[in-house]
Amino acid sequence: MKNLIKKEFTFTALPITYLFTAFSLMAFIPGYPILMGSFFVCMGIFYSFQMAREGNDVVFSSLLPVKKQDIVKARYFFVFILEMGFMLLSLIFVILRLTVLKDVKAYTENPLMNANLAYLGYSLLVFAAFNGVFCLGFWKNAYKIGLPFLKFSVVTLIIVGIGETLHHFPNLKSLNYLSGDFTLQFFVLATGIIIFTAVTYFSCKSSMKSFNALDL
Amino acid sequence: MENANVLEIKNLCKDYKTFSLKNVSFSVKKGSIMGFVGRNGAGKTTTLKAILNLVHPTSGTVKLFNKEFLTNEEEIKQKIGYASSGTNYYPRKTLKQIINAAKPFYKNWDDNICKEYMQKFELSENKKITELSEGMKVKFHLVLALSHNAEFLILDEPTSGLDPVSREELVIIFKNLAKQNVTILFSTHITGDLEKCADHITYIKKGEIIASSAMEDFLKSYAHEFNTLEDIMVHLELGEENR
Repeated sequence: MKNLIKKEFTFTALPITYLFTAFSLMAFIPGYPILMGSFFVCMGIFYSFQMAREGNDVVFSSLLPVKKQDIVKARYFFVFILEMGFMLLSLIFVILRLTVLKDVKAYTENPLMNANLAYLGYSLLVFAAFNGVFCLGFWKNAYKIGLPFLKFSVVTLIIVGIGETLHHFPNLKSLNYLSGDFTLQFFVLATGIIIFTAVTYFSCKSSMKSFNALDL
Repeated sequence: MENANVLEIKNLCKDYKTFSLKNVSFSVKKGSIMGFVGRNGAGKTTTLKAILNLVHPTSGTVKLFNKEFLTNEEEIKQKIGYASSGTNYYPRKTLKQIINAAKPFYKNWDDNICKEYMQKFELSENKKITELSEGMKVKFHLVLALSHNAEFLILDEPTSGLDPVSREELVIIFKNLAKQNVTILFSTHITGDLEKCADHITYIKKGEIIASSAMEDFLKSYAHEFNTLEDIMVHLELGEENR
């Protein structure tokens, strides 16, 4: 398993996939739908899936002395680490936005989503969609990537749309606060954590089962 | 007494919509070269893939080194090597990158053996897979297999699409490997290659094994009518009426 994970990071992955985590810096852009940053990270991971497919990776890996299901597990771990990398960077940027940058006019008057706790929760929902829609769809045949990515994109646009809409409702204004009452933001973050964890776990389990039954 | 068979397949079945493997059973003895022969579409590749769990048999058992493959997959794969003339991995990666990716997985990987075979087969580690001819690709797969001291090589049409000189080279390599007690199962429809190196033969027709024996015995059983394996194959496939 350790070797498979190392292979994912050092051999299968495209360097551009790592560069795409820099989209976490979008958290500093005012007047921009910053949630798209998590979508771009997923797009970077998508390129590595594409590279692996063109390299016939599933057959290459299946012939190595490993269990077939571990190939899926290692890829999920690779995806998970990149997502967590983005989340860690985003957390640092959110802390900066909520502390030293909380009074910056461009942010206090930002009509779109602010980088706060709710933003972290929404980002986890986007990653849950990637793991639950794209990854799950890919491992059904270990070949098709276009349609699962299209479906994931649609789900992401819905999440972004909801996220950008909710804080405009008077009762939900606190979702976009940079200071004050964070109760609703904690709720969104907790929801994101629970959904991300559950979806990733079940998606991985189901993908392992699909791939095991697949004729290559 | 220890079972001297490296591979034992019993009643292997696989059903597709338009094709079926029907009760495929045969065994391969340690240190032998077995030719797995049949015309295109007879079920050679499906059988080889089923041995490696790349396709899932509907029923039947596969034992390698006297152990069930499915329950000992990792251990068995340490001892086997697979090469196919039609399969390419990571065409844009260099041979060095692929070697470095593969070697941590094998307990018995030997860098010296790898270098020795790379030199012997005149392969440059800085070349990309796309820059190799078909024969060189097969040789590179052999390097990967031999570098981890594979005891059993499963080769799917390794000589198909190669020029006569490259085919002859591979045949010599197979013979030398067999002398080192490496067991080889290779599928082909090129009977000339089999006659030069195989000591056993398994013949598959329309998903069914119609013969599996020592090459000498197989040839003897048709000696009264046919002189070459090619003649026997044409007879088996087209029957008496088309002679």
